[in-house]
Amino acid sequence: MSKGVHRFALLVAVATFFLIIAGANVTSHDAGLAVPDWPLSFGKFFPQMVGNVFWEHGHRMIAATVGLLTIVLALYLQLREPRRWIKRLGWVALGLVIVQGLLGGLTVKLLLPLWVSAAHATLAQVFFLTTVSIAVFTSRSWTNAESKIFEADNGVSPRTLCVASLVLILVQLVLGATLRHSATWDQLLPTGLLVAHITGAIIVTLALGVTAMAVLLRHRDNKFLRRPAIVALSLLFVQLMLGIAAYITRARSPFGPQPLNPMIAVTVAHVACGALVFAATILLTLRVFRVLRIEKSTVGVLATA
Amino acid sequence: MLSKRAGLWLGLIATLGLLSLGSSCSKTEVKDGGEPETGTAYASKGDEGTISGTIAYTGTAPENPKIDTSADAQCTSKNPNLTAETWAVKDNKVANTFVYIKDGTLADGKKIGDFTGWPNMPTGATLDQNGCHYKPHVLGVVAKEEINITNSDPTTHNIHFTPAKNPDWNQSQPNGAQALKHTLNAAEVMVPVKCNQHPWMKAYIGVMKHPFFAVSDETGKFTISGVPPGKYTVVAWHEGAAGPGTEKTMEVTVPAKGSATADFSFGASASLQGQPSSLPMLAAIEFPVLGKH
Repeated sequence: MSKGVHRFALLVAVATFFLIIAGANVTSHDAGLAVPDWPLSFGKFFPQMVGNVFWEHGHRMIAATVGLLTIVLALYLQLREPRRWIKRLGWVALGLVIVQGLLGGLTVKLLLPLWVSAAHATLAQVFFLTTVSIAVFTSRSWTNAESKIFEADNGVSPRTLCVASLVLILVQLVLGATLRHSATWDQLLPTGLLVAHITGAIIVTLALGVTAMAVLLRHRDNKFLRRPAIVALSLLFVQLMLGIAAYITRARSPFGPQPLNPMIAVTVAHVACGALVFAATILLTLRVFRVLRIEKSTVGVLATA
Repeated sequence: MLSKRAGLWLGLIATLGLLSLGSSCSKTEVKDGGEPETGTAYASKGDEGTISGTIAYTGTAPENPKIDTSADAQCTSKNPNLTAETWAVKDNKVANTFVYIKDGTLADGKKIGDFTGWPNMPTGATLDQNGCHYKPHVLGVVAKEEINITNSDPTTHNIHFTPAKNPDWNQSQPNGAQALKHTLNAAEVMVPVKCNQHPWMKAYIGVMKHPFFAVSDETGKFTISGVPPGKYTVVAWHEGAAGPGTEKTMEVTVPAKGSATADFSFGASASLQGQPSSLPMLAAIEFPVLGKH
């Protein structure tokens, strides 16, 4: 197990998070078509960064950097990682970042059709999931966590709850991405999608709330599980507050003369925090799967090794 | 190393992505949004009249907010006091209102939509980018009329037409570049034009099948001339504060060689009309409420 691999995987995950923030800025500034050509920008590698070109070309630069980092990570894993399935995950990450880059180009070439833009925003989160997972799998805490916690088979297990939360968050991210790309800053958001996203927020709050509380109540003495559960709950609370603020600022946006900074800051923070909630839930889910075992023949928590 | 199956999947994903991108780039056939022309050309009888009027603002016109152009120093330098152009109101008279005949029947019983050609059809319009805003802010053209787009600014713009019936169009135009030419083939009220590099830049183009339209001037006045005698539905469109704009409608009768008056007024309520459905905001406390109020 290489400490260097883990650190590099962490770097790629953090860079991907910044890439998501850069992408969110492109959408909130309405900069998606500020550069009408692709893959070059105005036929150049580095155009003059004026107006919204700063956001669009900046996003492309960060994306290119993440792409290069992912190539290095995939190769690094082949050289230094003994587990075959993690090596494969490195290639999956590379495949995803290639498709993501192509979707980015496609959305510029096709003048931002909703399905391509929403797919681009969704795949960004799936790619982030992959990089976070690689960082988790290569961490020392993951390899050292050999102790097993046995739980009685009496009701819905945290494993099921975690997977359900993860799927619901992904659906919510798709809804959010579609909502954001269905109207520019000077247009009102479509009611149907808005109601679906708000309903999704309520469902995700209930699901992740129940999941994290179940983990905390049953395994409060286990740092390995307690920490991601607390982080996920805290981020969920922040995300809900940001969601309300995003709605209020975004609803006023069409009445403004241009995309205004409060709306941009809050909506970008909402996207970023959504990615962090997703990452925290991934961490919680992976750790639950790592150490939790269901004991069918016994009642209650049998042992915490 | 990569297993055969994983490699196969990876290759498949990349190939599909490249193919879809390639197909989009090599797209040669674009729907022009135009409709097949059936009908006859109108022959002038010398008894045509005019529709004229004034666009007024009821109440106190809202102040147009100042634009923050700091993202592009060239814009700040050329137009330091740039404001939004939503309400061009002077002495309670509204400029930039697009007035057009929506429908109607000529004195001989023929519908205005039955004709495909009219005398004195305009042959060219200009949309300039000057001081980091579009001039004019509201423009009327007939379908298939050539629009010359010029850039008088010391910076690059991108002209992005976002129509509903015509195809989208997005072109970059550096400072000093030659004029771009574009035509809109389908009638559409209105086609929004934006610049993604400077998101405050907006213009609206009304595309008509006939030449019976006008844009109100700084005194709020407009005149539509050469109108055959008949009964018409006249519409005044204003962009309003948000959404796709607000329309006011009026029925007028144009006598032979005579004139009809069509005065319209917009007011504070116009800024909240014509929006697509969305969760409305309770204005007083700015809190979201479900359902209409």
